[in-house]
Amino acid sequence: MNALSIGVAAALLVVILAAPKFGLLARWKRHRAYRAKSRSEDALKHILAWQHRSKLASLESLAGTMGLRPAAVLRVVAGLQTAGWVESGAGGIALTASGERRALEVVRAHRLWERHLSDDANMPMGKLHPAAERAEHSLSRQQVAELDAHLGHPQHDPHGDPIPRPDGTISALNAVSLNEWPAGRPALIAHLEDEPQAVFRQILLANLRPMQVVRVAESGPNHLAVEIDGRQHRIERSTAANIHVREIRPQDALPTERTRLSDLVQGACGEVAGLSPDCQGLSRRRLLDLGLTPGTRVEVALDNTFGDPRAFRVRGTTVALRRQQAEQVLIRPFPSSDGAETAP
Amino acid sequence: MTPVSVTPQAVLDRSDELRRGLDGSFRDSMVASLYQRAGELAGRSVREQGAGKWDFDQRIDRILTSRWLGLPVMLLLLGAVFWVTILGANVPSQMLANGFFAVEAAAAGWFESMGAPWWLTGLVWHGIFRGLAWVVSVMLPPMAIFFPVFTILEDLGYLPRVAFNLDWLFRKAGAHGKQALTMAMGFGCNAAGVTSTRIIDSPRERLLAILTNNFVPCNGRFPTLIMLAVIFVAAAVPPAAAAFAAAAAVVAVVLLGVCFTLGVSWALSRSLLSGEASAFTLEMPPYRRPSILRILYTSLIDRTIFVLGRAMLTAAPAGALIWILANVQAGGTTLADRSISLLEPLGTAIGLDGVILLAYVIAIPANEIVVPTMLMCYLGGAMMMDITTYEQIREVLVGQHGWTMLTAVNLMLFSLLHNPCATTILTIWKETRSARWTALGALMPLGLAFLVCLATAQAVRLLPL
Repeated sequence: MNALSIGVAAALLVVILAAPKFGLLARWKRHRAYRAKSRSEDALKHILAWQHRSKLASLESLAGTMGLRPAAVLRVVAGLQTAGWVESGAGGIALTASGERRALEVVRAHRLWERHLSDDANMPMGKLHPAAERAEHSLSRQQVAELDAHLGHPQHDPHGDPIPRPDGTISALNAVSLNEWPAGRPALIAHLEDEPQAVFRQILLANLRPMQVVRVAESGPNHLAVEIDGRQHRIERSTAANIHVREIRPQDALPTERTRLSDLVQGACGEVAGLSPDCQGLSRRRLLDLGLTPGTRVEVALDNTFGDPRAFRVRGTTVALRRQQAEQVLIRPFPSSDGAETAP
Repeated sequence: MTPVSVTPQAVLDRSDELRRGLDGSFRDSMVASLYQRAGELAGRSVREQGAGKWDFDQRIDRILTSRWLGLPVMLLLLGAVFWVTILGANVPSQMLANGFFAVEAAAAGWFESMGAPWWLTGLVWHGIFRGLAWVVSVMLPPMAIFFPVFTILEDLGYLPRVAFNLDWLFRKAGAHGKQALTMAMGFGCNAAGVTSTRIIDSPRERLLAILTNNFVPCNGRFPTLIMLAVIFVAAAVPPAAAAFAAAAAVVAVVLLGVCFTLGVSWALSRSLLSGEASAFTLEMPPYRRPSILRILYTSLIDRTIFVLGRAMLTAAPAGALIWILANVQAGGTTLADRSISLLEPLGTAIGLDGVILLAYVIAIPANEIVVPTMLMCYLGGAMMMDITTYEQIREVLVGQHGWTMLTAVNLMLFSLLHNPCATTILTIWKETRSARWTALGALMPLGLAFLVCLATAQAVRLLPL
């Protein structure tokens, strides 16, 4: 009896430890494999980032960014060398052709995942990067390809970074830092650097978003005064270095003289000028499908008890939108005399 | 024509190349051109005759969604639906019960005269048939009134206005405004409500709607609420106001359910299902004249008969089970008495009793049979021919089994909050395909029901009321 129960207990222990999929050993092995993979991929990304700044990464720079002990970094780099992805030289560590390809794949997964979180899940800009840092290591090639197709082959991530293409090419970011832009001339925000997080938070606090028109109103030795949507913000020059802008092109088709649908009062009407550029993906598609295309006449139809959402008259239908959605629709208001007969 | 050799890969490469040359706004242009073309076609072939219909619709909408009147009108309409149901269901329920129990007595007598063994007569007529009779007489009349009236509101196009009125509250709770629509479906049947959450695109908000749909009392639970409202609330006011008071009590329970929905959604949005409210766009259809025939068909055939059929399917075995529990003895006491005394301490602690808990255990397949099960347990082997009016039920519950106002209030709370029925649990699993969310959907309400009932029971007992 006693021997039997000991036998059963031992068998149970063996199963818990060594079960092929759920056993502790299998879990531990999976965890190790995942950690090794994510470490080597993070290292590849770091080396790639330094190469883009025309610098060579070193063991020290890797240890600093990844927060690892030198011994662990050595192990990671040795692994990368065995795979034929990096070469160590006198000046530092450089990517081989296949290593660069692999690094771009990770970057591609990261940026597509950010696009997905922003467009499909409406995740705020500040939370995208940490979430994508985790997801990038567990997406298979097949999943990345499906995600790309689902998102409609986007070219930029929500911060404005170009997304590497499946063939391993990447378009250059044709933009300069806001510090170098002449004062007084309007520019289009092309890219916001999302690292380091603290600086990025400052940028978001100033309400800066990609594809917005910005104008440097005043340029001081340590700060800039920038104007966005008629409001002025003060930005440190060190922060402005992480904001990249470019010339406004005719095909950007940015509407002028506009207000937002959310700012129209009850009974007022106007004409859709366009959708806000930071409204992308599913939410943009939904607004378009409701018929909010440029030139469409819109009228505020209903308020409700709480003042949000409100309903609008569009193309013969009544559509309710939350304030957050109505803010995305840019409007050329009709003069109030025009709408006087419809107003109560 | 000279043949040109083109490989599929070349076509793909070329399209890839061309796509890179597109700027991001080509989708906008596509939709714009579609709408323009559609507008041209419509302009050529559709003639509008003034804006009369739209003006009329908007005048109604200005009242139904207005700042001050929107919510009161909503409550009044809801109250009116319950009032009509309570007022209309009383007499037919009683007549059905009288008829069925006359049949039961006659048939049982006939079985006995044929020399059938006592257990066969008992199981078939006092068990299975009695369970069916209770379910039909308690449920059919309220359903046959509630569903058509509710379908009229639905057919008119009123429900999207409700979602519009309440969306702000749902947004604050981190949920989707269309959850109000899925809750409205839940009034009919929670399983249908859970399925209807497919109208919500965001997976996070859809899970919120699935997990909280149970806090809308479904049609299977309305008979319990209506019975309690009539017996305890209506009896406490003058007869003229009785139906109003009962309807108000049911509305209060429903409102409490809405509060729990919002509260639980809020808590989940900040814990297990953290995230931001997603986009909300809702089309408000023009008002339509309801088509009476279609309403009668959908509400009576699709809903009433369907729900009643399901209830009867579970009531028959449940009736047999109750009869067996009440008639099989082990060690001198019946199985029913044993399980009741087992559950009694727990029941008393939360302001209910052992019979009520046993009824809820037996009623896991379908909530509809809670009241019939309770009554069958309370009455034991007694003939039920005399127990057909609410007065007589009140006499049994208050006079013979010591029910108080606390029992009634807590039973209402328990009925509102407790775990969803087996069908709904199965539907949650089908919709989420996740054992964890299903377990949460079943156990979270149950835990909440016990906690809330425990709190009210202890509060009432501690406070000198």
